[in-house]
Amino acid sequence: MEEWVGNLWHRIVTKAAVRRYPDAAVRLVDIDRTLSVFFHALGGEAGIKLVAAPAVRHGGQRHWLQRLAGSGQKVELSWCDDEGLRLPATIDIFPEKTLNYDLYLWLTALSAVCANTQKPWIERNQDATLSLLTRFPGLKPRYHVLVHAYLATRLPPESLHADEATQEHAIRKALMRPGSVSMLPDASTPFQPVLLWPHPSPPDHQTSSKTPIMPNQNLHESHHITQSSNQKFLAERTEMPDGKDGFLMMFRAESIFSWSEFIRVNRPQDTEDADDILRTAEDLDSLTIARDSEAGKASVRFDLDLPPTNEDDEIIISGIALPEWDYRQQVMLEAHCHLQEMRPGVDIPHEIPAALRPIASKLRRQFRSITSLRTRLRAQEDGDDIDMDQWLQMEADRVSGTPSVTHGLYRQQHNRHRDMACLLLADLSLSTDTYVSDNARIIDVIRDSLYLFSETLMSIGDRFALCGFSSLKRGNIRFHRLKDFDEPFTSITRGRIAQIRPGYYTRMGAAIRHATTLINRRDNQQKLLLLLTDGKPNDLDQYEGRYGIEDTRSALHEARRMGVKPFCVTIDKEAHDYLPHLFGKDSYIVIRKPEELPMKLIKLYGQLTNR
Amino acid sequence: MPTLHAIEQRDERNAPFYQPSGNEIEMFERAWRNQLPLLIKGPTGCGKTRFIVHMAKRLGLPLYTVACHDDLSAADLVGRHLIGNGETIWSDGPLTRAVREGGICYLDEVVEARKDTTVVLHPLADDRRILPIDRTGEVIFAPPSFMLVVSYNPGYQNLLKSMKPSTRQRFVSLSFDFPDPSIEEQILIGETGIDGMLAKRLVSIALSLRNLKDHDLEEAASTRLLVYAATLIKDGCDPISACRAALIEPLTDDTETSRALFEIIRATFGH
Repeated sequence: MEEWVGNLWHRIVTKAAVRRYPDAAVRLVDIDRTLSVFFHALGGEAGIKLVAAPAVRHGGQRHWLQRLAGSGQKVELSWCDDEGLRLPATIDIFPEKTLNYDLYLWLTALSAVCANTQKPWIERNQDATLSLLTRFPGLKPRYHVLVHAYLATRLPPESLHADEATQEHAIRKALMRPGSVSMLPDASTPFQPVLLWPHPSPPDHQTSSKTPIMPNQNLHESHHITQSSNQKFLAERTEMPDGKDGFLMMFRAESIFSWSEFIRVNRPQDTEDADDILRTAEDLDSLTIARDSEAGKASVRFDLDLPPTNEDDEIIISGIALPEWDYRQQVMLEAHCHLQEMRPGVDIPHEIPAALRPIASKLRRQFRSITSLRTRLRAQEDGDDIDMDQWLQMEADRVSGTPSVTHGLYRQQHNRHRDMACLLLADLSLSTDTYVSDNARIIDVIRDSLYLFSETLMSIGDRFALCGFSSLKRGNIRFHRLKDFDEPFTSITRGRIAQIRPGYYTRMGAAIRHATTLINRRDNQQKLLLLLTDGKPNDLDQYEGRYGIEDTRSALHEARRMGVKPFCVTIDKEAHDYLPHLFGKDSYIVIRKPEELPMKLIKLYGQLTNR
Repeated sequence: MPTLHAIEQRDERNAPFYQPSGNEIEMFERAWRNQLPLLIKGPTGCGKTRFIVHMAKRLGLPLYTVACHDDLSAADLVGRHLIGNGETIWSDGPLTRAVREGGICYLDEVVEARKDTTVVLHPLADDRRILPIDRTGEVIFAPPSFMLVVSYNPGYQNLLKSMKPSTRQRFVSLSFDFPDPSIEEQILIGETGIDGMLAKRLVSIALSLRNLKDHDLEEAASTRLLVYAATLIKDGCDPISACRAALIEPLTDDTETSRALFEIIRATFGH
């Protein structure tokens, strides 16, 4: 009974305390593309994407109802960091939808013109406001409407203590007449967060991970509850306590009133109710996450600000036996390797990253012309048009008396029919985890290449398959089938590409043999095997150096014999030492700047298939 | 064969309006005087064709413009035999006519044309300045006043089509871009007669839109579109509708991008 009344009371008070208007809410996911274009047009940096901001504690004054309900301590503000431009996931503080939308536009515009000067925060915001209003005079009336509506939602200065009231007056003046306030006076409590301005001191993004990422077993059946809102949580990583050095707590854990920090102590775990977990997460300022080898009974999916981890892949077919060439004994070792075909356990649909969208549409437009290449065959016996040149030749010969051979006198349009199948095999070994530029690893470049390659081939209409491979000795060669030939390229396929992770080593020969088998099942006229790699073949056992190269060469030789044309695209600068031996002088290219891989790959495909 | 001479007078005052940005008029004249062919690079709608028309009038030369496309062959440029009255008659193409008359031949978007056009362009574009016509067996020597001008849009980067170095290096090149804001305002005022404040606003919109090139928009907003918008406004159209029709709709079909562009127009003109 108590609990029921308690819940009811909590719900009433929270609802009254929250000055929100869910009916007029505007969500970031609905307008983020528009805002992104707007941001760029106003001068914002081109590479920046728009991300939802996690709610942060502000410590300022709250309405008494909010204090009673224990809510309103956190607020979603906007700021710029490495991830991109952070904006609130939802804005619903005004009863009119247009005002909520205008607030999004205003925050985006302000971030685009905000200069990173050393001036105090309040001056910077006023400068940016003034410069925006000068550049876009049409914004002035809308800005004033927005400010007027916003000030109505803030606590009035009369209800605050003296020093807080002075602060509030200053903020209000700066909002209504930008440029008039040069300094924000101090007060004992932090000021109410100003939703019209960026965050005064954006939080840092910390992560640490010492546990090595090992493949883990399948999760047991557990019931999932996905959280109801689009909220994001600040998070950091740490290690799981390992069960040794026990520290016995003499009292029950429920009697602790607050959850504020994670201290690594060893104590027996209670798996909690999923609802409690969610509420606890909302109360915490920052979540600390560790990886455990046991499965929990209940699990809740949070949208965390964490760098991604390995999903466990589901094995589709296991233990395909493949031979390997031992060059020392000059003998083919039958069934020496075992390959597992894999697919990610969970298919998460994924859209093309915003940064790649304009390049993808540009490529689609350019490659569309490949499909409509027509050639005119001349001197045909029959056709659509008269071949004037042939006729003239015949006439001229007749008039001049030279004996003429009767040629065909017609021209015919000939649609060149492309009958091409291409399998793109990407090296996903650990070496791809190295950084090649400030914010991209080789694996990221490979991922981008896969996206763009797929988009391009989709528009041409050629059949293609995408695979990735990595190996851990000869018994465990992981072959990821990201897309099959006959599968359509959808957001599910993109999701598989998004989930590729670097791991293990490069036993190239076995992967090439399997890829050749896959592509050979097709009966297209031209079969192309494109290998995308960043280094030599090598694995943990004797598969390296000359052994690895010779086995790979043998695999490629078999591929060629079966009518498959192999081609290698590599970023290894030393490739010239071994690739001619493997692929032939004309069947490989070395890309000097890895960031150019996507475009060069596609250009190469265009050239290879236009011959 | 009779050689027609250029009969138009040099007519600077009646030449179509062209506002120079740099030293392009002087460079063109130098190249022409020294019989060097010219390659003009620049985005669409930045004044390339207007510049050529202006220079042709200024120098008093006949101008033959050819819009190149991927079906354009050497025969289309040089000429072909036509049949009439029971006999075949040779008909000059625009390139041949320009060479005979000693005028300017302007090939717009030359990378789009078929590859066999290089066979005719190369001998004209180096110091030989000859046009061999194998159909008639003629070899025409270009008079000193003849000039070959070609243009293309390098921003529309074509992975599959580009100018070969052997062709590119036969030309003197000028790079065109959208003019500086103050000059662009002058152009708008000169072309349409709108007032300075409106010109300023239109140019500021164009600057914001040009930030979106290659990322959100295929091509930057051209001066030509600004002239259209100004023309509509001068005719009495309200600025927001004029900008929507002349600046938003021609640039993008995507709803979210047009919404963002609309916000910029709204932010400039109010309400």
